[in-house]
Amino acid sequence: MARLITNRRQVLKLGAALGGLAASGLSMPALAQDKRVRMFWWGSKERADRTNKVNKLYEAAHPGTAINGETLGWPDYWPRLATQTAGRNAPDVIQMDYRYIVEYARRGALLPLDEYLPSVLKIEDFGKPAIDCGRVEGKLYGVNLGNNSTAIVYDAETLQQIGVEEPSWEWSWAQWGDWSLKVAQASKRDGFWGIGDCGGIEPALDCWLRQKGKALYTAEGRPGFDVEVMTEWFGFWHELRQKKAIPPADIQALDKQSPETSMLALLHSAAIITNSNQLVAHQVLSKTKLKMTMQPSGGPGAKPGQYLKPSMLFSIAARSQVAEEAVRVANYYVTDVEAGKVLGVERGVPASKTLREAVAPTLDELSRAMLDYVSFITDKVGDLPPSPPKGAGEINFLLKRVNEQVGFDQAAPADAAKQFVDEANSILDRG
Amino acid sequence: MTVAVQASGRVERARGRRRIGSRTLSGYMFLTPWLIGFIGLTAGPILVSLYLSFTDFDLLQSPNWVGAANYVRIATADPKFLSSMKVTFLFVLFAVPLKLAFALGVAMLLNKGIAGLPVYRALFYLPSLLGASVAIAVLWRQLFAGSGLINQALALVGIQGPSWISNPNYALSTLVVLSIWQFGSPMIIFLAGLRQIPRDLYEAAAIDGARPWHRFWRITLPLLTPVVFFNAVIQTIEAFKAFTPAFIISEGTGGPIDSTLFYTLYLYQEAFSNFRMGYASALAWVLVVIIALFTAFSFLSARYWVHYDE
Repeated sequence: MARLITNRRQVLKLGAALGGLAASGLSMPALAQDKRVRMFWWGSKERADRTNKVNKLYEAAHPGTAINGETLGWPDYWPRLATQTAGRNAPDVIQMDYRYIVEYARRGALLPLDEYLPSVLKIEDFGKPAIDCGRVEGKLYGVNLGNNSTAIVYDAETLQQIGVEEPSWEWSWAQWGDWSLKVAQASKRDGFWGIGDCGGIEPALDCWLRQKGKALYTAEGRPGFDVEVMTEWFGFWHELRQKKAIPPADIQALDKQSPETSMLALLHSAAIITNSNQLVAHQVLSKTKLKMTMQPSGGPGAKPGQYLKPSMLFSIAARSQVAEEAVRVANYYVTDVEAGKVLGVERGVPASKTLREAVAPTLDELSRAMLDYVSFITDKVGDLPPSPPKGAGEINFLLKRVNEQVGFDQAAPADAAKQFVDEANSILDRG
Repeated sequence: MTVAVQASGRVERARGRRRIGSRTLSGYMFLTPWLIGFIGLTAGPILVSLYLSFTDFDLLQSPNWVGAANYVRIATADPKFLSSMKVTFLFVLFAVPLKLAFALGVAMLLNKGIAGLPVYRALFYLPSLLGASVAIAVLWRQLFAGSGLINQALALVGIQGPSWISNPNYALSTLVVLSIWQFGSPMIIFLAGLRQIPRDLYEAAAIDGARPWHRFWRITLPLLTPVVFFNAVIQTIEAFKAFTPAFIISEGTGGPIDSTLFYTLYLYQEAFSNFRMGYASALAWVLVVIIALFTAFSFLSARYWVHYDE
């Protein structure tokens, strides 16, 4: 026992060797006088192109610094980041998600950035909320790369062709349901509906719960939902399914929560619930013109369901050998006008007012739509909820699975609700 | 003369003992690259995973010793352990016998002495080479999708097929079919086994009036049992370890409704999606034990049905 503990460092190193294998390409020692900053992000090819371009710009403006970029898709990104961190080989600049920042910060994997304020990190003009979303227990661990919110992206061109009106941001959940059926009836396409089955889609549930004054998770990291409200939720979608207003379960199950497998991309629905900054990603996959509006409204007297959140942040690894240079790179991304013009709003709408105003005139139509959307909803949204607890990612998949059980007639909405609440509780208990 | 030879032989042996020592050493020297790889990349991590299975390692923080807690949870409080075990056992139960039967059938056809045998052999082996690759799993997803090739073919005869891969009733069977399709390597081994069966046995049986079915049942199969046994053991282990097809076809979710959540996929999720590396290590060791038990059982049962030509 005692021997194991004295050996722990070695054990860890060995264990990390497995994961480190994959990272071996990245672990080259820095060359001579060059400062080598490693940057790691998730995202599409579009994002990679823009990011690499900005890194080139930075290198040109800062001789003696080289940025090694590395990118993966979302599902592969997190295992890789975790193994690299475990192997003490974390990249210097880490693209961080609001969902994970608490976990990484609390475990000492990230560098507190307060001492770089405002000497290197010049983000005062973000305003307090947009800075504080990067704080964990009072310390700054992340630089907001852009704001976004959830949104409904819809296929305006197809709607026009089949003669159904475009959805409105004031519509209630029930009105969206009616509209979905109308689209299904008006369309000559086989297997086409207005909107997909959102019973298993976490951002939709999040919005719906907040409109009822509840939340996905409380500030203490416990479920903010109960059996009653979940019965209503699964029941609402089940009824639409029975009316054939939304896709049946075996079509909905094709959706693996990536843009490529969305009901919209697979031509099964005219609208989907997604993140506002992903409009570009969806448009790339669609031949017809897409537009964007808010999630269904909660009706009169309801609280705001949506909120603005950092679509992602830049964090710096706690063990970074080139920490100050890494912070400078992060600062460049969120303050430099030239960089901002290349990045556009692909990572969300810049938090810096100066940068936003400088970038706005250079945006293409699609990016402009995202910017306008965020401006439009700013006075209609609520406060940012606390960062979700550990296990939230698992509950996201649980929601999808339980909704599928209702869809495939393996569980009634009330039973599904009870199962969902029970399993979510046990996941959170386990931590 | 003989004495001289014996004497020199003795000297030779005496000297040889020393030389064998240095020869062994140089042998190990040549093996060093492999040994380093084996110890550092295989044996080391395996041992570490055994240690980690008794900890709460989450990749980010140092592991804490939790005793047998992970194993206790697996045995008593993990419904997903049971459901993923069930999926894997169903897969093994159907994929292995069907694949072996199919491989044997094709091998017997090829053994009829047709022209261009090497070409056919290579062609039939091809899927096994591509087998576990991502590309094939992606292809499979396309084939069995709602508007995929399979359903287009069914539509020609007036059947409207379901969306195979996204229906919990059929998703696992598409993976079984994928596995059967990769029958190449057992087939090659069957083919080699078939060629070793002496022709005169068949001739004698034919003279005695045995029909083809009898010849297969009384001659081919009994003489082939060592090969069947070998293939069954290897394929069972492979089937228990199957991961890539389920991972790609369900995009790592094991869906719909966990119908393709193989044990290995669940293990992967626990390790890399939920960061429970300690628990996942325990799951991995449970799988090792299960495979070992199955293999041991196969070997024990072998004496009752495998006929060695001795």
